[in-house]
Amino acid sequence: MSTGTPAKPRPDRSTIEELAGHEFPGGSYRIAHWENVILTGCTGAELLPDGLAHPIALFHLPIYGSGTSIAEMFDLGQAESDLSIMIESYDWEFFQPLHEEVCYTVSGQVASAERCQNSSGQTYDRIQFRFDVFDPHRALCARSIVTWHYTRDML
Amino acid sequence: MPEVSAQRMRTMAALLRDPNPLHWDREAVAALPLGLGKRTINQGPLGLGYIVNMLHAWAGPDCIRRIVMRFPQVVLDGEEVTARGVITALRQQSGTQIADCNVWLEHAERGILLEGTASITLR
Repeated sequence: MSTGTPAKPRPDRSTIEELAGHEFPGGSYRIAHWENVILTGCTGAELLPDGLAHPIALFHLPIYGSGTSIAEMFDLGQAESDLSIMIESYDWEFFQPLHEEVCYTVSGQVASAERCQNSSGQTYDRIQFRFDVFDPHRALCARSIVTWHYTRDML
Repeated sequence: MPEVSAQRMRTMAALLRDPNPLHWDREAVAALPLGLGKRTINQGPLGLGYIVNMLHAWAGPDCIRRIVMRFPQVVLDGEEVTARGVITALRQQSGTQIADCNVWLEHAERGILLEGTASITLR
């Protein structure tokens, strides 16, 4: 790789599997108006009416609201490098729309973690994160399940 | 989306505090053994956002109940991509009509880049 950053060694299978159940500290997140304007603009859309947040906020709102970060999630799975993470899927459920300038409480955990091989025999670790987002009345208003592949020796 | 923007990827990377250089460093992407050339890779939420915008244009800005997305191919800066969908079922849930859909993001030459399902509230 030309980035000059040596890849980290591959963690043991058991180290990965033991991540299942790991809970993030929890916390809260408020989507600021300016943030919603920029986020929505990045998708090419106009700002939504009535203070609605663009639904793609359900990516970073739960991550930061639960007290973690993308970088920490990379580190948790001992990513070889920041380049080595690939997305498998997102599963986003909205029980009510998200709004800007509302303080949401979030809990998050590693739902599953397993060592896998692709059809070419290459090893990767499949880690699934689950986040629950609650409104100020403690009602569950959204859920995000993010599944990433931590590739090993592929790049 | 007539042209996926590298500048928007950079803005998004800053907003998300996403350290992955795939989204902002063309040289880093070119160095990968993936044959992608000097083009940055769109963030997953952005590509999904194009599909969300299509669904909003069809059924309104608070229509999405659930969206499940897989990412079989990357979306690259400079590409023209099109969001599409088809209704697969209509059902009632707690007095609300829901449309279940297959949705995807496609490129004229490379085919389907993102694909998944969405459940949409109809009013």
